[in-house]
Amino acid sequence: MRSWRRHPFLGSARRGRESRAHGRERDTFAKKGSCETAAGTLGSLRTFHPARGGEVLEVLPAARPRNAPKPSWTVSLVRRATPFFAIAAVYAIQVSAGAGPVLAFPLYLTVILLTALQLSRVESLATAFLAAIAILVPSVVGGDLAPALLLAIVLLVAAFAITEVVRQVRATADRAQRQSEEIAASEERLRLMLEAAMVGLALVDGEGRWIQVNERLGTILGRPQAELLQLPLEAVTAEKDRAVLNEALALLRSGDIVRWEAELSQVRGDGTRVPVAIAIGAAPGYVPGEPLLLVQESDISARKRLDGLRDCLVSVRHVIVGGLTWEQSVPQLLSSLCAYLDQDLAQFWVADPERQALRVRHFWHRDESTFEPLRNQSRAASIPLGVGLLGRVWQSGVVAAIEDLSEGGDYANVDVARVAGLKSVIAFPVVDGGAVIGVVELLAGHSRKIEDDEVTMLSTVGVEIGQFVRRSDTAQALRRSEADHRAIFERSPIGIARISGDGDLVEANPALLAMLGHDFQAMRESAWPDLLRAYDQAAARQRGAPLLAGIATGASVQVRASTGASKWLWLQLTATSIPDSNGRPEHLLVMIEDVTTVRETSDQLAEALESQRSANANLEKLDHTKTEFLSIVSHEFRTALTGIQGFSELIRDGGLEPDEVRAYGGYIFNDADRINRLIGDMLDLDRMESGRMSMRSGDVDINEVLTEAMARAGTGVTQVEFKSDLDPRLPIVAGDRDRLIQVVSNLVNNAIKYSPDGGTVTLSTRSEGGYALVSVADTGLGIPPDEIGHVFERFRRVRSGAAQSIPGTGLGLTIVKQIVEMHGGKIWVESAVGHGSAFHFTVPLAAENVTPLQRRHA
Amino acid sequence: MLVADDNDVAQRLCKRVLEKAGYVVLIAADGLQAVDVALAQRPSMILMDVAMPGIDGLEAMRRIKEAMPTMPIVIASAHSMASDRERFLAAGADNVLSKPFRLADLVAIVGTLVKQP
Repeated sequence: MRSWRRHPFLGSARRGRESRAHGRERDTFAKKGSCETAAGTLGSLRTFHPARGGEVLEVLPAARPRNAPKPSWTVSLVRRATPFFAIAAVYAIQVSAGAGPVLAFPLYLTVILLTALQLSRVESLATAFLAAIAILVPSVVGGDLAPALLLAIVLLVAAFAITEVVRQVRATADRAQRQSEEIAASEERLRLMLEAAMVGLALVDGEGRWIQVNERLGTILGRPQAELLQLPLEAVTAEKDRAVLNEALALLRSGDIVRWEAELSQVRGDGTRVPVAIAIGAAPGYVPGEPLLLVQESDISARKRLDGLRDCLVSVRHVIVGGLTWEQSVPQLLSSLCAYLDQDLAQFWVADPERQALRVRHFWHRDESTFEPLRNQSRAASIPLGVGLLGRVWQSGVVAAIEDLSEGGDYANVDVARVAGLKSVIAFPVVDGGAVIGVVELLAGHSRKIEDDEVTMLSTVGVEIGQFVRRSDTAQALRRSEADHRAIFERSPIGIARISGDGDLVEANPALLAMLGHDFQAMRESAWPDLLRAYDQAAARQRGAPLLAGIATGASVQVRASTGASKWLWLQLTATSIPDSNGRPEHLLVMIEDVTTVRETSDQLAEALESQRSANANLEKLDHTKTEFLSIVSHEFRTALTGIQGFSELIRDGGLEPDEVRAYGGYIFNDADRINRLIGDMLDLDRMESGRMSMRSGDVDINEVLTEAMARAGTGVTQVEFKSDLDPRLPIVAGDRDRLIQVVSNLVNNAIKYSPDGGTVTLSTRSEGGYALVSVADTGLGIPPDEIGHVFERFRRVRSGAAQSIPGTGLGLTIVKQIVEMHGGKIWVESAVGHGSAFHFTVPLAAENVTPLQRRHA
Repeated sequence: MLVADDNDVAQRLCKRVLEKAGYVVLIAADGLQAVDVALAQRPSMILMDVAMPGIDGLEAMRRIKEAMPTMPIVIASAHSMASDRERFLAAGADNVLSKPFRLADLVAIVGTLVKQP
């Protein structure tokens, strides 16, 4: 409303000058003949909304009241009295001159005429009456009444006519006057409207030359109206917008359009740009060929600035929600701020609370080279809390600016900034959770005043950036943590499986898939359920819980599992449950290690240990056996030698009866013979056990072997009866005949020895399953049950009861067993004490499977 | 005195030598028999073999010593390793005679334990 008050036509204080100014303006209007029509169209212009830069004129000035000053009473009285004095004067002259009324008549008529012209009708008529009386009076006195009366009547009629004419003329003049004044007032109102309008208004011709401009337009364009009238519309329009303007003018000229609206950038008198909303319309009643255009402009720089601030905020938010990290977003943020706030350089300073200093973190500028020194300076700088512009902003948390660096201020890098051509600085805090975590500094190459709305906007931006920094930091930390864990999962040499609460495989790391040779699909569908079952079985063996029933964290079991390549592995499974936020196991983590090598090694080690242990035991046993053997052998030898030595000593000492000598010699012979047999048996056994005994393999008729053995045994024995039950169709066997005779002889001798009271010894043969089965049964003492298992062991002899006195080396049956086994047969014994024993052995039949008879025939 | 031995050659040798030396010689052929004879006849001393059927000489000696702790018992065994000798003495034998033995040794050992009849 400032411009309103400045308006020369308004305000009582300036009323005194009005008529003069009014007159001048009227003259101006009067010169432009076609203005009246144009002005008349002003009323049809739309009202502009303030937001669009226009303002509504709330009150239009009313027509000025025509209150001319009243003449003073004396002047009026003199004025009114004057005609009467004039009549009186004429009468006086007439009387004094003695002239006739005819002569005075023109004078009276003149006075009346003047009165009618100068004064009102009543006064003129009164004057006329007075004049008539003045004419009549001398005639009445003189007696010449008739001509005087005629003259008076003529005078009155003339006076009446004159007043009528004057009245008519006056009425006409008054009408004209009123009309003229009304037109003037209307023009004035229109002019007021034009001049007082908050929008720039102007008339231009078809070529865009100004015809008339209002003051507001001059204000908008920063030029005096007179200067503006010298320039075409195009000249005050920024170059980039000229083409579109000219095009619009051409269209308006041709009548294709009647109205054009646009937003243009125009050039102010000081060279700065001003954004305007412009509307150009063809004036109504405009005659083609004589184009007249109405131009309406409003300064939309405030709106533009608001739009800029809003766009700036939007742009900042756009960057913030763009999903980039803080580091990636900073250049965009800073460049957006610079672009929208018309700044040339931006720096982001991070507050380091520990060192109580601001350090520059990010730098953005329009031109690479110009600001390098400033950048270097910033890099090295460390700004303490509360010091300088930036320190203040950090401390106070409010936006601050230095409008013009050349006028000083507490800007730290003022010299460098000046050298770089920077003139103004704005700094705003980046706030997170109430604390200032950084300061953004914007520098421009021009001096710049910061507006209140910009402060508000920058404060908002600071808070939003602060929140973004925190979110970004958190997100980055999360991402890093996630990446770390992912890397552990992906690169772990140990297999890791994530299992849902239902036991389904959710995730398996590459190590696990590689270990088991499955892809994830196969792993999930078959291999994992198998593994789960194996785990539960293994856990059950260790009295542990199944995997899904409840994990004792860290419990591990080893299971056997097959791989996709059908290889068997030992896997060690260690399960851990991962609780959800309620503490219930949400899923399980299972670590799977291939312990096959370890397991196999340990198994091999255990086997080796076991075999070593058993070898050691065998060695010990062997050693023990050897010691025992030596002990037994020496005992046997010494026992036999006792008799030999003792009785030979007796014989040597002499003094014996011949019978005694004979008897003693017999004892000595028997024992010596026994020793000899012992030695022979031992050597045989040793040869057999060490594999040094050679077997002469040939076809042997077992029946014949038995017959010979019986014949040999029977020579010295009479108490025992022999029986034989030989299978005549027994095929020949493959073997060493002499050894087989040794076996049978030994068994037959034993049968005889252990049948001290006589009895029957039965020899039988038969073929059974590819073997010749030979049995030697006696009806002798029999073997006690506790000893029957040991009869084939060396030096084990039945020494209980009646059997104890039966001599033997204790090696016979051991040798027999060895020979039978060397032939690939088996030997066993059945016995009952008091009922005798039956020894059975088998020898494999010869491959040809022929009987001795067949052979003989062949 | 009592000679307990399962070997009849040894029995005869001992009996012949000791009778010649003036002792009355009883014979037992196994451990149980030796215990029975010793308890029944109460000999002056016993010459005991070890490797005998039934109960061995050491067990027989233990049983006899249980009843007659002062009964002199000489173990005469073909087990003649050094450890055997210690074993027999530890088991309570009054002396040990290794087989085969010199006849003079037999007489001398018996003589130290039994007064001349």
